[in-house]
Amino acid sequence: MRILMINNDGGGFADYLDVAPGTSVAQLFERQVGGRAADYLIRVNRQPTPADQVLQEGDRISITPTKIEGANVFPAMRVREGA
Amino acid sequence: MSVVSAVSMQKRKNRRPTALRLTPYAWAKLLYLRDAGPGEVGGFGIASPDDLLLIEDVALVRQTVDRTSVVFDDEGVADYFERQVEVGLPPARFGRVWIHTHPGRSALPSAVDEETFRRVFGRCDWAVMAIVARSGASYARLAFGVGPGGELELPVEVAFETAFAGSDRLSWQAEFERSVTLRAEPAEESFSLLDDSLGALIWES
Repeated sequence: MRILMINNDGGGFADYLDVAPGTSVAQLFERQVGGRAADYLIRVNRQPTPADQVLQEGDRISITPTKIEGANVFPAMRVREGA
Repeated sequence: MSVVSAVSMQKRKNRRPTALRLTPYAWAKLLYLRDAGPGEVGGFGIASPDDLLLIEDVALVRQTVDRTSVVFDDEGVADYFERQVEVGLPPARFGRVWIHTHPGRSALPSAVDEETFRRVFGRCDWAVMAIVARSGASYARLAFGVGPGGELELPVEVAFETAFAGSDRLSWQAEFERSVTLRAEPAEESFSLLDDSLGALIWES
């Protein structure tokens, strides 16, 4: 069956994939991405999803990074804050 | 010398030095967004299909900011990725150039910036962290996550030779208001709210 997958790791991927019926979100993540699932937001059809959810024909799964944050604080300032 | 190698040499000679370049439209939008609020702001560069280091637009995602930090909303990032895919862009064009601003004088990345760049973009084949400070200072670094890896600081340039659209402040402001939530500052100011140039002095001493 065919699903659409979106993922930014490696060379980036946004295309259709053939997966075996019965494939779960966790299995697809392990096969296509790997690493720590906690570092990603995994959604199916724009909805947060449990790892054991079984994918269906036509599903759209996006695996996108989380906790993107920037700051303008120098390390020395943090030392002063804690002093 | 063969014709092929002569042509190849000429091409190398004509090639511009590697830089992160923004079209005048993208640069103007980035500066507008940088100055639209009191805090940091961040987003992604959308690259030209012909040159992944030429940024044609800057897109915000939903985020919470204060005067010294910006935190992207995870759902906002996912929505942004899905929207870009829907209009037919590959991730290499819209998800690899992470841009944010610093409200102070320094555009040098902080420890938080470095940690995010490593953790979030370290598994990409390549990615760029770009920072523009309110002072006008800029910083960009290209990192490769494949093969032997490697990093390269890039100058930031405006590609005046490209065609570009005019200012679109109304839509830029609307995008800012739609995307950026200002976090309330704590009542008592701490050292973290000091200008970053003072931070550098503290660090040096």
